[in-house]
Amino acid sequence: MNRIASRRGRVLALALAGVSFLSVAAASAGEISVWVWDKAFNGDTMREAGALYTADHPDVTFNVDDTASQDDIRAKLQTQLLAGSTEGLPDIVLIQDDIAQKYLQSFPGAFEPLSDSIDMSLFAQYKVAAATLDGKSYSVPFDSGVTGLFYRSDFLQEAGFTAADLKDITWDRLIEIGKVVKEKTGKPLLDLDLNDTGVIRMMMQSAGEWYFNADGSLHITDNAALKKAIETYAKLYQNDLVKPVSGWAEYTGAFTSGEVAVVPVGVWITATIKANADQSGKWGVASIPRLDMEGAVNASNQGGSSWFVLSSSDNKEETIDFLKTVWAGNDDFYQDILIKRGAVGSLLSARNGEAFKASDEFFGGAPVWQEFSTWLSQVPSVDYGTFTAEVDAAVQAQMPGIIAGGDIDAALQAINDQAQQQMQ
Amino acid sequence: MTFAMLRRGIVYVLLSLAAFVSVFPFYWMVVGATNTSAEIIKGKTSLGSALITNATAFFTQVDALRIFWNSGVIAVVATALTLLVSSLAGYGFEMFRSRLREKLFGFLLLLLSIPFAAMMVPLFVMFSQAKLVNTFTAVILPTIASIFIIFYFRQATKAFPRELRDAAKIDGLKEWQIFLYVYLPVMRSTYAAATIIVFMANWNNYLWPLVVLQTAENKTITLILSGLTAAYTPDYGLILFGTVLATLPTLIIFFLLQRRFVEGMLGAVK
Amino acid sequence: MTGWAFIAPALILLGLFMIYPIVWSLWMSFQVGKGMNLSFGGFANILRLTKDAVFIRALGNTFTFFIFQVPIMIVLALLFAVALNDATLKFRGFFRTAIFLPCATSLIAYSTVFKSMFAIDGVVNQTLMELHLITAPISWLGDPFWAKVLIIMAITWRWTGYNMIFYLAAMQNIDRSIYEAARIDGVPAWARFRYLTIPMLKPVILFTTVISTIGTLQLFDEVYNFSAGSGGPSDSTLTLSLYIYNLTFKFMPSFGYSATVSWVIVVLVGILSFLQFLVARDRRTS
Repeated sequence: MNRIASRRGRVLALALAGVSFLSVAAASAGEISVWVWDKAFNGDTMREAGALYTADHPDVTFNVDDTASQDDIRAKLQTQLLAGSTEGLPDIVLIQDDIAQKYLQSFPGAFEPLSDSIDMSLFAQYKVAAATLDGKSYSVPFDSGVTGLFYRSDFLQEAGFTAADLKDITWDRLIEIGKVVKEKTGKPLLDLDLNDTGVIRMMMQSAGEWYFNADGSLHITDNAALKKAIETYAKLYQNDLVKPVSGWAEYTGAFTSGEVAVVPVGVWITATIKANADQSGKWGVASIPRLDMEGAVNASNQGGSSWFVLSSSDNKEETIDFLKTVWAGNDDFYQDILIKRGAVGSLLSARNGEAFKASDEFFGGAPVWQEFSTWLSQVPSVDYGTFTAEVDAAVQAQMPGIIAGGDIDAALQAINDQAQQQMQ
Repeated sequence: MTFAMLRRGIVYVLLSLAAFVSVFPFYWMVVGATNTSAEIIKGKTSLGSALITNATAFFTQVDALRIFWNSGVIAVVATALTLLVSSLAGYGFEMFRSRLREKLFGFLLLLLSIPFAAMMVPLFVMFSQAKLVNTFTAVILPTIASIFIIFYFRQATKAFPRELRDAAKIDGLKEWQIFLYVYLPVMRSTYAAATIIVFMANWNNYLWPLVVLQTAENKTITLILSGLTAAYTPDYGLILFGTVLATLPTLIIFFLLQRRFVEGMLGAVK
Repeated sequence: MTGWAFIAPALILLGLFMIYPIVWSLWMSFQVGKGMNLSFGGFANILRLTKDAVFIRALGNTFTFFIFQVPIMIVLALLFAVALNDATLKFRGFFRTAIFLPCATSLIAYSTVFKSMFAIDGVVNQTLMELHLITAPISWLGDPFWAKVLIIMAITWRWTGYNMIFYLAAMQNIDRSIYEAARIDGVPAWARFRYLTIPMLKPVILFTTVISTIGTLQLFDEVYNFSAGSGGPSDSTLTLSLYIYNLTFKFMPSFGYSATVSWVIVVLVGILSFLQFLVARDRRTS
């Protein structure tokens, strides 16, 4: 009996010893910690930026944590900010532009204003606007979500279309092209996920509109661009041009394995597409189609994110100096991350660098980065507001009805009502 | 006789069908670990040749030893403590009934239904004030007193033969001795089932470790795998290799303990 | 006094890590505001709840899942357990392990497999078409009705073996000699199941029913993974837990309101458990 008891005691003591030595890892002075969500893209990009800074400032090191997904980072950050506990928060966190205002407004004082120390006019203005509150900007813009129409040039050629046929077209024209492609090659035009409003949002933004008015009130039932976008979206389905998918794996799987002809998406998808080296030369990029209406342009945005500094940071001075030196001052760094990671940064002066002018064999030798730069300068600036996620959910709720041919005005009214109720 | 054989035949057919449906995704996971990401997306379901590539990729990208050690320490310590504390309580609630304790038990059952998300912020405040954020202690402590397992032990204890306890009392054993030397061995199959269930719950625990563990070197395999899945260009070969590894401990425990489900409790005592 | 001693360690831990946070969240459910800008709102959150169409939808979905899924799973698990408890059955170990496997299979692997099997051009639709059971492929993930069916199938698949474990463990506590006696007396198998097995397993059946009820009311993993976190299509798989997650982490952080929704689950479970206990008691007296 004693033997058993003592053995159990020993196991317990051992176990507890194993647990207690892992106490809080105090952020060592001079170490800048960063939360990012994709190793290959923003993780390695930030590591490279850090290495550049450490080379000149050997006392400053970097700890880039890329082990959590974006959803998880939001959950962690939000729990901690709600708990009012800054312990263990990083110095820098990456936040997607369309939710920046939500964080800035619900957690006043949690983020450090950067516009006093860093010249924001150096960056693409629509990115700066997304993180500006009461005249102060809180972020250093990172990647742009400027959109393009990625397409399989081989499929389109088979259907009798050239690059010129896709240049600066409308969505209605793309639907016509899609019908021919489907007929000639049997491939659906594109793959869409009913649980994702991305395409509708990029259509809407191409006409300079968003879900909200300037005063933050809902802009749904009187939003001609949104209505047109939803109509176009429904038309894609009704003409049987869509391969329905569910979730990211299936979504990317469909176009990387050659099941669809085009992908309207943010430029950050480039690495995913280029990961399939055997498809080199079979892809092209055209400007994103515009809505067939007054004021719409062949440029839009999807996603994209920026660096935010937590006010709780112990290394604020070094952190801001780092962002200023590398992210707001080193054009060569931007060439490097473009070539290595396919990251299109938002620093305007970097656009004149060599890498941005280079052509890409994967895309048939076209100067794609130059084109993305051009489109980037044309992206209409919109105010993402604080309730985009709520309205997205309301739009998603109407999707199956809309593609089945439901009345769009009624759907808009329903979206409006649900969003209104949720915005409290 | 023929009727009995027919019935036996139907049972085998149905069980085989259920086994096939149950095993398929598992099979897919194991086979996937030997294929490249592109092959997996295309739906290949036969063995491939990318096992070494996937393993190498996994071990270069993930500090596997460290991460599995973290998961292991958390799961083993939490399981041991949960079984001890919760079986004591289950036994206590069932063997020593009182009106007050019955009410208390009913109340606890109700609390079982609170979604964890609702308690997360206050819990975080507590652990942050106790300076325990980013420790295994913070992950383990809230799981030890599991109402779920207390309830399970209480229900299982209803089948515990009271004569055994009475006999032990006559022999002069104290209550804690009865628990240790009579109850524990007799309830082996219950403990076996609870071990599997609790270990699995801790091994797969997600939301709380996500929030309370902050540095990469303290994270568990469940957290790391979730992060890998969310990459812009997920490498499914690497991910499935990781999930196969992450599933092994639960399976090993199940294999070791399932023996307990074939031997009868009373037979073992006699 | 001994009784308290046995439960004291659990009670202390529960008090600290459960009761305290719960009281805190109850207090939160009377707070309104964005993020950290909170103020006392009285019953404002409850009022908001009654007008919240999304909440009503989530509540309805959760109930649908509960009503269809729990009975199917409990009955299946019981049948498997009885079949596998038969000492004369061959390959018992294999079947037992196979049926247990789903709950050990990683969520990532199984949601990926399910999604690809039930994709519009997936193997399930192909098979059904070949058997001429359907004329056009079913949009399992895109149609609000079939998406629900898929979720029910998925959770039944995942958790049946898990529940079976509890029954198998409990069956080891039943005295074999009673069965032998019944068999010798010529009691047929179904009657042994109905009048011997079921009554003896009753405490554990009650346990699994309550646990599955709570599990289904808190359903999150599957609906989150199958719908990319949206609860779609068209909110058809939005559960209360997913709604709470969205309110807490995805939408404008209104912790008070999400706490209120959490309390609704508690009240519901309270009512349901009470009903289940009543039913169990009625059976006993009759």
